[in-house]
Amino acid sequence: MTTPQMDITGDVCPMTFVKVKMGLHAIAPSGKLNVRLKEEALKNVISSLKTEGHRVRNVSREEGIFLLEVTKGG
Amino acid sequence: MSEADFKELKKGGMMRQAEAGLFSVRLHVVGGRLATPQLRAIREAADRFGRGEIHLTARQGVEIPHVRQDALAAVKEFLAPSGVWVGVCGPTIRTVTACQGCRVCPSGVIDSPELADMVDRELYGKPVPHKFKVGISGCVNNCMKAEENDVGIKGWIDPRWESPACTFCGVCEAVCPTKAIILSAGDGKLVIDPALCIGCGDCITSCPTGNMREKNRGYRVFAGGKFGRRPSLGRRILGVLGTKEEAMASILAVLDFFREHGKPRERFGDTLLRTGFPALETFVTGRTGLP
Repeated sequence: MTTPQMDITGDVCPMTFVKVKMGLHAIAPSGKLNVRLKEEALKNVISSLKTEGHRVRNVSREEGIFLLEVTKGG
Repeated sequence: MSEADFKELKKGGMMRQAEAGLFSVRLHVVGGRLATPQLRAIREAADRFGRGEIHLTARQGVEIPHVRQDALAAVKEFLAPSGVWVGVCGPTIRTVTACQGCRVCPSGVIDSPELADMVDRELYGKPVPHKFKVGISGCVNNCMKAEENDVGIKGWIDPRWESPACTFCGVCEAVCPTKAIILSAGDGKLVIDPALCIGCGDCITSCPTGNMREKNRGYRVFAGGKFGRRPSLGRRILGVLGTKEEAMASILAVLDFFREHGKPRERFGDTLLRTGFPALETFVTGRTGLP
């Protein structure tokens, strides 16, 4: 199964994290979600994910856009 | 009434108004916090002795304006049973301002009202060469504007980087608001410039691997700030202090320096222009033994 992708590069806070939450809602615990986001959204999205018990496993960057591989928490 | 008498009244928080015979009565407020019985008494006093008007000052203070000179003693007597005391003005240590701190504000790093109470108990109204203001911000969002006070305190988070599981993903470097973090993945190195770091902790909250951690959280001291006609911003002294007692000791040491070097009617920031800032740092470090 391919990991679902989500692009929030066109969104601003708080919709950035709202969309990520909705994306995570649709997958099972321990499932993965890939998120494309802009630098401005990094702090709020990652800290909110950590607070809600999810994990950010991999981070990569392509031309100013960050890609996060998120693992859904329990 | 002589000028000297007016000066004495002013020191005691009763400030002569533009209109002859009227005074604005300053009250003792710490960190902008008042209990409802105090507020009720203040309202009643403003109705009875003033013109039913209350002035909120620029530094979280409360004043009852338009009190006639012959009612000054009565207003004081009326307020005391409700735990409302008349404040201070003139060359004294002024109202200690504070935000609500970590017990109320989700961003809070230190308990600002607790330190404000401590500073107030020890220092409020004490004589100094010129007015001396202390303001306490619970975090580096700095709602209380630490740098515009003679001594300002900010809640501060010092980050520390640990290498083992760091993937050099670049998130900390990207989120740092002052570009204090320099990453060189090739050499497996990450450097935090302490001169640029503003203690916000954003690198810690956004680190995916938990390799950016808190080294210290506590009190950061700024000295020599003022506003007025020629504003200047306070500058950092000492490292991040871990306890309120250490913060208090640093404030006392700064005051000793001011009393030793300050001239009458000279704000602390101007004293520092004469002595140089390093003289203060050496003095405070020597006096307190703090890093």
